[in-house]
Amino acid sequence: MSEILLCNQPMKADFLSNSCGIDPDLIHGRGCPKPASLSAFTPYVLGQELSAFDSQIISTLSAPKVANNLTNLSLSFGGDNTIALAEMTKKLQEYNVGLMGASTSVYANRLGGFAGAVKEYQDALMSYRSAINSNAASKALAKQKAFKAFQNLQIRFKHELNAINAGVKARRGTPLSSATRATNIARSSHNVAKLNVTSQAQAHNLVKFTQHAKFLGNGLAVIDFTSRVGNIHNEYKAGGEWERELFVESSSFAVSALTGTAVVNVGAAALGLLVVATPIGWVGLIVGGVAVAGTAAAASIGMNNVVKNNSGGVYDSIMKWISGV
Amino acid sequence: MTTIQYYVGLLILATILTGILFVLFGQITVRKLRKNPKTRDALGLEYVSGWDIINAAQALAFPRSLSKKLERSPLSFIYANSLVLIENTSRLDRFLGSLFYWMMIVTGMSGAFLVLLESVGIFEP
Repeated sequence: MSEILLCNQPMKADFLSNSCGIDPDLIHGRGCPKPASLSAFTPYVLGQELSAFDSQIISTLSAPKVANNLTNLSLSFGGDNTIALAEMTKKLQEYNVGLMGASTSVYANRLGGFAGAVKEYQDALMSYRSAINSNAASKALAKQKAFKAFQNLQIRFKHELNAINAGVKARRGTPLSSATRATNIARSSHNVAKLNVTSQAQAHNLVKFTQHAKFLGNGLAVIDFTSRVGNIHNEYKAGGEWERELFVESSSFAVSALTGTAVVNVGAAALGLLVVATPIGWVGLIVGGVAVAGTAAAASIGMNNVVKNNSGGVYDSIMKWISGV
Repeated sequence: MTTIQYYVGLLILATILTGILFVLFGQITVRKLRKNPKTRDALGLEYVSGWDIINAAQALAFPRSLSKKLERSPLSFIYANSLVLIENTSRLDRFLGSLFYWMMIVTGMSGAFLVLLESVGIFEP
């Protein structure tokens, strides 16, 4: 894998070797091997010599718009994260339609939790970095905290981490695959994005996705509720038996919600046992979540119909019984 | 009153009772657990707000062996931690939780079953 060097301001090559320990002999530009100074927003390849593959990569990246965007992205998100982000976006697009609808309740919160855990890890790394910079006595403690946050991330979100790290083949690992690597990066300061910094970026797309999913779930509930209230109001305006309509709508809402809840609960337990019994991956988890949410939705909708068709009769019987007593 | 109306009436009654138990268990037990720093983070994943009540009830109602199996799985974050919860609840809490949980599952599952029977045409005259 080629290592690309990007910077957002012109820089002398010997400055680079002094401050970052990068040998200027290893830097190759497009059409100029071993340049004395680096220009801003231009990709350079790091390596013993410029291979044909490398020169092809930098000529692709050299288009001004691409180089500008890439430099800024890498500086703010970190190189590995930029690559991983592109991977993740592609994957999510492949699954989007089915995912967006059905797995809202089962998967949305998990992604939210994942983003939170990445953020915690990031914060721990940042506080370690600032402890290093200010030479505070709490360095070891901060490092320990970062390792702990990483461990937490690994235990709880192994599947997501694997999905993200699978596409990145950096030799020394990425901040999201190794806490040692991350703390080393945090320790060495740099303003050149050697395509290697941590950030919460990976989670960015996921967070956006979570918001969509939550919005969809809540939106559906509001639409459902509004239409029910509308039905009762219509009955009232038409001078009909609105109390009967109220009974029908509220009982069908309650019973169908309870049915959906029970199915989700049983499904989640079944999914848990399935995970124990089989080496199911994160795609399998999503598929399982979709299946559970789909079954719950089907049962809930079916229940709603059954109760709506029959609770009117139940109401009539109760009324008859009361008037008979 | 037709047969299916009879069952629907029973389901509505059971749903109301479950709802009452849900609120009671939420107010008596889970409110206490949410305030307790020992159990605050052991209530599992809230798909929608209030779901932690169901998680807590499940942890108190499930047999220990099944809870243990679930809590060892990679999905353990979904479920409430039964060991911590059992240590921090009274006998009444556990009884209320089990009653609510099984009532909810039985009612909900019979609802789903009723839908299934309906869809294959059992109740058609």
